[in-house]
Amino acid sequence: MPTQTTGATDSALAEPVISVDGLSVRFHKSRRNRSVRDLLFKGQSGVRAGEFWALRRVTFDVQHGEAIGVIGRNGQGKSTLLKALAGVLMPDDGTVEVRGGVAPLIEITGGFVGDLTVRDNITLTAGLHGMNKEQVAGCFDDIVEFAEIENFLDAPYKHLSSGMRVRVAFAVVSRLEEPILLVDEVLAVGDRAFREKCWERIEELIDDGRTLFLVSHNARDLKRFCSRGLYMQEGKLIMDAPIAEVLEQYHADSDEAAELRREQVSKRKEDRERAIADDPSTVGESNDGTSSRETRNKDKKAERPRRVDDDDDDYDTY
Amino acid sequence: MGPNEDVPLNRSDQRSPIARARAVWRVRKILWLLVVRDLKVTYAGSALGYVWTVLDPLLMCSVYWFVFTQVFPRGAGEEPYIIFLVAGVLAWNWFTSSVNESAKALRASRKLVKSTDLPREIWILQVVMSKGCEYVMSLPVLVAFMLIYQKSVNIYILTLPLAMAIQFVLLTGIGLLLAPLIVLVRDLERLIKVMLRLGFYASPVLYSVDRVPESYQWIYVVNPMGDLLQLYRSGIFGDLMNWGHVGIAAAFSTAVFALGWFVFARLERTALKEI
Repeated sequence: MPTQTTGATDSALAEPVISVDGLSVRFHKSRRNRSVRDLLFKGQSGVRAGEFWALRRVTFDVQHGEAIGVIGRNGQGKSTLLKALAGVLMPDDGTVEVRGGVAPLIEITGGFVGDLTVRDNITLTAGLHGMNKEQVAGCFDDIVEFAEIENFLDAPYKHLSSGMRVRVAFAVVSRLEEPILLVDEVLAVGDRAFREKCWERIEELIDDGRTLFLVSHNARDLKRFCSRGLYMQEGKLIMDAPIAEVLEQYHADSDEAAELRREQVSKRKEDRERAIADDPSTVGESNDGTSSRETRNKDKKAERPRRVDDDDDDYDTY
Repeated sequence: MGPNEDVPLNRSDQRSPIARARAVWRVRKILWLLVVRDLKVTYAGSALGYVWTVLDPLLMCSVYWFVFTQVFPRGAGEEPYIIFLVAGVLAWNWFTSSVNESAKALRASRKLVKSTDLPREIWILQVVMSKGCEYVMSLPVLVAFMLIYQKSVNIYILTLPLAMAIQFVLLTGIGLLLAPLIVLVRDLERLIKVMLRLGFYASPVLYSVDRVPESYQWIYVVNPMGDLLQLYRSGIFGDLMNWGHVGIAAAFSTAVFALGWFVFARLERTALKEI
């Protein structure tokens, strides 16, 4: 499939708010075969044994106010891309230029300390993300109201339920006055009503002219918020087009994979039946242990696409 | 993918030290917020809070005092020994707690490291500074003993900020050096613990350098903590002052700082992937 560069918004006149050029990030599969001396004194170009590119030569520009959905199966580089945009991963090659602050809704509960009260935590985390005292004071009540946490302000953060923790965290981070918003499936926690509230808040922010980056498997959410889609496969950006087209392609690929899997499964079944018919005594015997384990592994691998192509699943099923 | 495709275009570990320092300076308020948060956690988390800051060195010192004045009554340092001892133990505590925790800093604050794009140096600075604050807050223990023993200070007490500044530079350097390394090589954590224990006895915390046979004294001159402990004590025991040794400590600390920062900048990228 060729890389398509259809500009969902072709306002080439304005300077892009994000420009990613040849972005590549490399990860290690294993921790072995590395020495600290290597890391310090040798150039790190090229993929050595046990390494792979989580992102490879990803290039795109984002204009101010665009809402972009990042699509791809698990482990294809979506989150890595978001982390690179957030500046919490450094590229091994290429450049990421982000003009303007980023409100990362990634690991949003990260700055919170269990031993301190909710009140202290709100003030501290807001400050940590760059708000000054007046700003914090100005939006403190909004945050509390949004998180519906009035009665727990003086309770230690660790006494909150995990859903409430995410509420507080989302309330704080979504209050940041940053022009770019990165959302990485953080909303998988929390009850339905609160999730809807979060989406409404995000919608508000988009209407406000923020630039949105959303990673999700949920086609409905992607269609609702995003106009442009980036399709990631094996670390490469294989498609950059209006969201509907990208989703279509993604579904087609997933269906294809599912079809392939179904064929494999039925073929294996046939083989097995044939084997039983040929010689029923060999099936299930211990000396056949290795091959049956292999088959089981293959089954597991083949099962994976099912979860992904089930795109209309609700978060409740997670 | 041929090797030619892999020419790095731009790598932020090649940012100049000045650019890095500026980035840290820009977030100084956030750094201070983190220090305050650390102190709050220390003092809000436990029932006795501040009492531990005082009690911990007090109990340790009473043990050492018993051993070195009652069990081995030969004497080990200046008199009154307890003051000599407390002055050393407090500074050493700052050193050891800071090295221990700043080495683990990137891993300990990994959630924040992974969700904010603050310059990564601040996670180390945060530890060194909050431990430094705890050091200052434990100084009343020393003052109390000086009042009890009617021991007064001399002009060299004015070098206290200098001693703290040198130790700060040294600790930041060690932290910057160890924090990314420990992410990549887990075993280092154990090694650091052992080294700190060795360091405790190889530094003049419990005894004075002039009690050491002359042929070994160079160890204490080379060891920056040896020189620093002497400097800390010179405000009370004036004859311990040696400007040459202060210079050595400052030079050594600066060198460690430069090395630490270099290593940190080189390993930052890799460490970020591993935490």
